[in-house]
Amino acid sequence: MSLQMIVNALVNAALIAPPAMAFSLLFGILRFPNFAIGGYITVGAFAAFTLNVPLGLPLPLAAAGAMAFTALVVWGAHVLVFRPMEGQSAITLLVVSIAVTLILENVVRLFFSADVRGFDIPLQRPWKVFGAHITPEQVEIIGWSLAIGVALHLLLAHTRIGRAMRAVADNPMLAAIRGVNAARVTAFTTAICGALFGLTGVFAGLDLVIEPLVGWNLTIPIFAAAILGGIGSPYGAILGAVLVGLAEEATILVLPSTYKIAVGFVIIAVLLLVRPQGLFGTAEIKK
Amino acid sequence: MPETVLAAESLTSGYGKAVICQDVSLALAEGEITCVIGPNGAGKSTLLKTIAGVVRPMSGSVRIAGREIAGLPAPRIARSGMAYVPQEANVFRQLTTHENLTMGAWTDPGRAEAACARVYGMFPDLKPLRRVRAGNLSGGQRQMVAFGMAMMLEPRVLLLDEPSAGLSPLMVRHMFDIVRRVNADGVAILMVEQNAIEGLRVAHRGIVMAAGRVALEGTAEALLDSSEVSELYLGTRA
Repeated sequence: MSLQMIVNALVNAALIAPPAMAFSLLFGILRFPNFAIGGYITVGAFAAFTLNVPLGLPLPLAAAGAMAFTALVVWGAHVLVFRPMEGQSAITLLVVSIAVTLILENVVRLFFSADVRGFDIPLQRPWKVFGAHITPEQVEIIGWSLAIGVALHLLLAHTRIGRAMRAVADNPMLAAIRGVNAARVTAFTTAICGALFGLTGVFAGLDLVIEPLVGWNLTIPIFAAAILGGIGSPYGAILGAVLVGLAEEATILVLPSTYKIAVGFVIIAVLLLVRPQGLFGTAEIKK
Repeated sequence: MPETVLAAESLTSGYGKAVICQDVSLALAEGEITCVIGPNGAGKSTLLKTIAGVVRPMSGSVRIAGREIAGLPAPRIARSGMAYVPQEANVFRQLTTHENLTMGAWTDPGRAEAACARVYGMFPDLKPLRRVRAGNLSGGQRQMVAFGMAMMLEPRVLLLDEPSAGLSPLMVRHMFDIVRRVNADGVAILMVEQNAIEGLRVAHRGIVMAAGRVALEGTAEALLDSSEVSELYLGTRA
């Protein structure tokens, strides 16, 4: 494996680690795999595009706006779609979440057409580090991804709301008995995760392109990273993201790059067969 | 006559359409331990869950120190001065011992630090385990964490669902010692016990439930002596 491949793998990992952590957090609280994340990421990418290109805001400001907007969309989807369906099976909710993705994606297509777009940023020459190319945007993505990992850790481990998020994910009944208002914790969690999906949309727009399918194309690698790390375990998701990034790059060594997209599926299938709790999750004992 | 801290009247509850508890009334006086015994499926745990707000009552009333709480959601009942320790899943397994205790002071975080110190004083064994995840503790240690969490805000009323379940005989004795000690500090306790003899020995009063109703009640001594109880529910023939 060349240094270039490791760089590519790290960029991939940095792109999917934050949404994989968010996916894991959402799963912990809501107990179903939310495939609406594809739609959320697309919404984030186009919100940032709208603020950046037609409205002319600088990209950092556009990214902040996109995060706020996506947080609102994710919370809205929870209130309007998922909360009324509380008590339905995880499979039902999974199917509904795919529908939410299709709806969001097509609303975006309605307003923006299926054209491929990009942010209004000066084209920068990639840096050369020991023969490997890396763009300044990719360095920024890696930096932000690391910062988000640290910030999420601080939130979960050292704040009151973070402890409540873990408590509700761990044992919702006991959390209620001890006085935790689960609705408030859920609203906060959806908003935080929404902001992360929005930011992922921005990163995807920087590293890939902005088009309605941008979120959907990332969904499988994100899901693979989350279950690789043990679904519901946000720290595992980081390592899961690195492993998925490496696996995708390694595939290109032996197969045409069109098969890269299949890597996530293969990881998911193998893992569900061999170790359904993920590499770092603990097996749940069912009585 | 001591004040009644917990009063349930004609409480009926269950799951879906199935009625488990029927028309149950009970009164817990200040400083008293009442033990609810009865065969499996008699509705003992459901009674406790209904009082704690985990199961919604279909009808009837529950009052704590005169205030009606029946039908309130569990997080509101958590602020009423009553603390409930479920039989199973009574700790946050992914959280450390210390974090678990802190969750016991969720409704009044300003008191958490002092309360933790008090609970560690009550259970010195927990102190070296404060950074250990509750899921990695032994059954007895976990029960102490569950108990300690409930004691954080010095409740007036404690609801214990089978505190001795799954513990070694030594731990069972230890657990009942703790129940006595907490009670000596003035906490009224309503406790469900499968281990009827041990439970009644700790308690002042007893309630025998059968098929969702109160079949018999009286002082713990009278129930221990009653041949009816020993034949039907204690499994011994006097």
